[in-house]
Amino acid sequence: MLETLRTIDMYDMIKFIPLIPLIGFLILGLTGKYIKKEAVIGTIGSLAVFIPFVLSIILFIDIVKQHITSPVIVPVYTWINTGQLSISISYQVDQLSILFSLIITGVGFLIHIYSIGYMHGDRSFSRFFAYLNLFIFMMLNLVLSSNFLLTFLGWEGVGLCSYLLIGFWYDQKFEGTRITWTGDAANKAFIVNRIGDFGFIIAMFLIFLTFNSLDYQTVKEAAAGGAFAYYNTGILTAITLLMFLGCTGKSAQIPLAVWLPDAMAGPTPVSALIHAATMVTAGIFLIARNSVLFALAPDTMMVVAIVGLATAFFAATIGLVQNDIKKVLAYSTVSQLGFMFIALGVGAFTAGVFHVMTHAFFKGLLFLGAGSVIHGMHHQQNIKMMGGLKKYMPVTYITFFVATLAISGIPFFSGFFSKDEILWSAFSKGHWIMWLIGATAAFFTAFYMFRLLKLTFHGEERFDPHHVHPHESPKTMTIPLIILAVLSALGGFLGIPYALGSWFSAHPNLLENFLDPVFEDAQKIISTATMKVSSGNEIHFQEYLLMLISTGIALSGIYLANKFYSDALWSVPRALAKNFRGTYNLLFKKYKLDEFYFATVVDPCIETSRSFLWKIFDVKYIDGLVNGLGRTSMGIGETVRKLQTGIVQNYAVIMTGGIILILFWIFISL
Amino acid sequence: MLGLDQFIAELNKSISMFLPETALVIAFLVALLLDLMFKKSKNLTGYTALIGFLVTGYFLFKQMNMQSTAFSNMFVIDQFGIFMKWVILLSSIGVVLISFFTNELYEKAKGVGEYFTLIIGMAFGMFLLVGSSNLIIIYLAIETMSLSSYVLAGYTKEVKRASEASLKYVIFGAVSSGIMIYGISILFGLTGSLNLFEINRFLAANPVNNFALFLSVIMILSGFGYKISAVPFHFWTPDVYEGAPVPITAYLSVASKAAGFAILLRFFKVTFLDSVPGNDSVWTLLGSIDWHFVIAILAVLSMTLGNLVALWQTNVKRILAYSSIAHAGYMLMAVSTMDDAGVASVLIYFFMYMVMNLGAFYVVALIANNIGSEEIDDYNGLGYRAPILGICMTLFLISLTGLPPTAGFIGKLYVFSAVVKAGYIWLAVVGVINSVISLFYYVKIFRNMYLNDVDSNKSKLTYSPASIVLLFVFAIPTLYLGIFFNDIVKWASYSANIFMGK
Repeated sequence: MLETLRTIDMYDMIKFIPLIPLIGFLILGLTGKYIKKEAVIGTIGSLAVFIPFVLSIILFIDIVKQHITSPVIVPVYTWINTGQLSISISYQVDQLSILFSLIITGVGFLIHIYSIGYMHGDRSFSRFFAYLNLFIFMMLNLVLSSNFLLTFLGWEGVGLCSYLLIGFWYDQKFEGTRITWTGDAANKAFIVNRIGDFGFIIAMFLIFLTFNSLDYQTVKEAAAGGAFAYYNTGILTAITLLMFLGCTGKSAQIPLAVWLPDAMAGPTPVSALIHAATMVTAGIFLIARNSVLFALAPDTMMVVAIVGLATAFFAATIGLVQNDIKKVLAYSTVSQLGFMFIALGVGAFTAGVFHVMTHAFFKGLLFLGAGSVIHGMHHQQNIKMMGGLKKYMPVTYITFFVATLAISGIPFFSGFFSKDEILWSAFSKGHWIMWLIGATAAFFTAFYMFRLLKLTFHGEERFDPHHVHPHESPKTMTIPLIILAVLSALGGFLGIPYALGSWFSAHPNLLENFLDPVFEDAQKIISTATMKVSSGNEIHFQEYLLMLISTGIALSGIYLANKFYSDALWSVPRALAKNFRGTYNLLFKKYKLDEFYFATVVDPCIETSRSFLWKIFDVKYIDGLVNGLGRTSMGIGETVRKLQTGIVQNYAVIMTGGIILILFWIFISL
Repeated sequence: MLGLDQFIAELNKSISMFLPETALVIAFLVALLLDLMFKKSKNLTGYTALIGFLVTGYFLFKQMNMQSTAFSNMFVIDQFGIFMKWVILLSSIGVVLISFFTNELYEKAKGVGEYFTLIIGMAFGMFLLVGSSNLIIIYLAIETMSLSSYVLAGYTKEVKRASEASLKYVIFGAVSSGIMIYGISILFGLTGSLNLFEINRFLAANPVNNFALFLSVIMILSGFGYKISAVPFHFWTPDVYEGAPVPITAYLSVASKAAGFAILLRFFKVTFLDSVPGNDSVWTLLGSIDWHFVIAILAVLSMTLGNLVALWQTNVKRILAYSSIAHAGYMLMAVSTMDDAGVASVLIYFFMYMVMNLGAFYVVALIANNIGSEEIDDYNGLGYRAPILGICMTLFLISLTGLPPTAGFIGKLYVFSAVVKAGYIWLAVVGVINSVISLFYYVKIFRNMYLNDVDSNKSKLTYSPASIVLLFVFAIPTLYLGIFFNDIVKWASYSANIFMGK
């Protein structure tokens, strides 16, 4: 009895996880202007994320101990409850939501600490922390919600924060395709995301229409029940495809990937927190949360896998030739997100979530490292203007190096485990061609990451030593780097594949064990549908082989990058760029996707709006109609008001006349 | 025949049912006596009224889930009536509080002692009307509330237009009552009873002459129509609203209308419901007359005339008078559906209408305290001279238009959805067009406040902190109920079931 009581109280605590960042936002947003001390603002902002982090850990430990198999729903407030429609704020405690909450608050806390150093002296210091806290609040609502609507609220909220933070330095120039200042980049991110949100909204309408509910648990049970009644139906394919459209917007996948590189206009901690570690993984979260719906729609799964594959590959190729340190990392993020979608698309949900986690560590670290470099280099971002920084910034260099090893997939660093699990899933559950393209993308990844490392930290110093004096960043910035480096190095051991860990445990993959209850139903559906008996834990010879091959691929990528950029003249890459000028330009111009969108969508829209919708439709028809109606109303009013003579005898006559008229009319119609 | 013991038992039961009304009567008498004894004291009767209303509220609260009849079926207690009584009671309290801050009352009338006493009397009449199920009681209740309201409308004796308003009100009221009681006598002649339940049973069992029935009901409607100021029974409204003191105008536009709608709905359901099909939530009506259509026509006329004429008004009180005619039209739309969803939407609408309309009139009173005018041109630049009043007025006007996120939006949403659900799409379309038209004259008020005379160097308006607190009492719910409306909707749906007797 006492035990159950304790657990209920325990899970009730989840309310406070989003509440505290909200309070932080309100305090900083309303009174931040009057707090003069940066340390105070930074402490409030960081505490507002640290406390939820502690709460998440407590809940996490409890979930592990209790082995809960179905989610615990904690209702907070019912807003509307009429008929079938019930809209409520309620949170869901389960393995998936708590894992995401841990990532968001944990990495988020480190980035808050980092920002205290990075944003030092900024004139809008408190506004920055207020936005960050608001972002954490919205993101937590997104992942903790027990229904689509609250997730959607968070979804839109993080979009808003992303917009606000990309344009945080709203008066600065920023270069891009038809982009001249940060505000353009913010607008672009917001507007491109609207297209995805449109898909998400329609998907919600269809879900409500089909299942009469927007609660995850209810929808899941309704869809999974009825002996495959919904399997491969048109409606479920439509729902999942539309939902996936939303995911391609938020998680920057083809065809909506174009906004993320321009989102780098924001301060670097923002790029680390929002555009690498947390917000962009919302799409992966949404699919993982609705794994059952996706498992029931094999066609959509195929689309997800192919889109993920294409994005992983193309973004990696763009990353090969970029010169802006943040741009390289941005395309790398797009590419890594593509890997996660490959995993989801072939039904390896755990692998996808695993990569979300390791990616949050190493990509967050890479961005923070890049921020440290930018900080030390007085806002220089072009890697061709750097070089030899390792002696000036040893801590940044070492941590950056660890992260680079992790993302390249060097064995026993975190990225190795998660990427390898994805590639193995693509091979075993998908197709060997998928594996091949994925492996090629991994090769490119290793190459461009070491190219970045070489150009930034090694070689001769290409900056102007008279004006630029590189220096190591303050402790508030380096300590988060060190913590993230440890996580990037060791975080992978949470997901040791059976093939490597079978000698000490029958279930060495801790993360898979942990997430098993969440994805159990979806896995059952997939294995029933494909008539495959769950492979269980068998060791495949191929798995070792592929592991070896991908390690070899990573090493050869590193080797090539090292070789290409070791000589000071970069003769090989220069020659390549010269001989394959067409290809190089295509890559450098990002496959001209932006230009293509402008030509086919944006410009026609603007032109039609201006020359037809505005000048003809609005001015002539709409205005004409409205003005005409207005004039008619005024005219009738003018006539009718003459009845109100002010003489009471007239009133009585008109009233009696009215009654007689009604009677007369009825008399005729009777 | 009842035996004496039974009679006494029945009487005891009835009196226990009648406690809220009894409290009002006692408060009325106490106020009258206190006023005689302490002539000098200014607001004594006002405080007495407040205490009386609170006691009434206590008894009303204890009746919350009761459903019964009293005094030989003359009087009904049901959730529907209790909801409407709450609206009346809350608006009575609001009006008394508004009166405290209305200088006009203290300057242009000789003492306010009787004023508050008469408000209690009017509240009693309305309580009685809401619960009555007998045509004679209905008539008596209407007269009780009317007599008080005639005096109240002309209470500021020194103002000429107030006296004029009062006189017009009396004459018009007398004509309406005359027509109504004539209708009652015809209905009595047709059915042989004055009790609504018995009339219902009679109509269910015996066919009557359709034309005679129609004639009588239309005549009775003129009595109700005049209380809710529906076209063509609305003529008194603009003149009286303009002439009466602001709190009384507010009172007439909310409480008096609530009582009128309550008896209109009760009369139609109890008299004409065919209880044979069993499903009471969608009413099946007796006889072959299309009552839906009659009410729908009144609704269209009220909305359209109210809104179109309001476009031309230059006096804020007159604008709000015509707007209240239009609002009666919106609610009549919901009445015309003749089902429980429609009743619930009327209840929701009334609750929302109460806060926003009282608020709007209160701002008018506060502004009149300062500038002594209600002309729209005198409102120029007030948004800067009185920022808090300006913001609150804008909120109330947006709510009256029915835009989110305010209470008025929720009220309209439920009314329109009830109308659409009942299948009267054309009616909903007319209602929406009317809402659009209404936006014009509401916006005109706050346009004047904010866009005209922007650089005015006239003095700031003065108002006491207490009066601002009261303003927030209206403004906060107007916003709050626009976002958190679930409880009101639930309560209204629960209260939509009008008691059909045993």
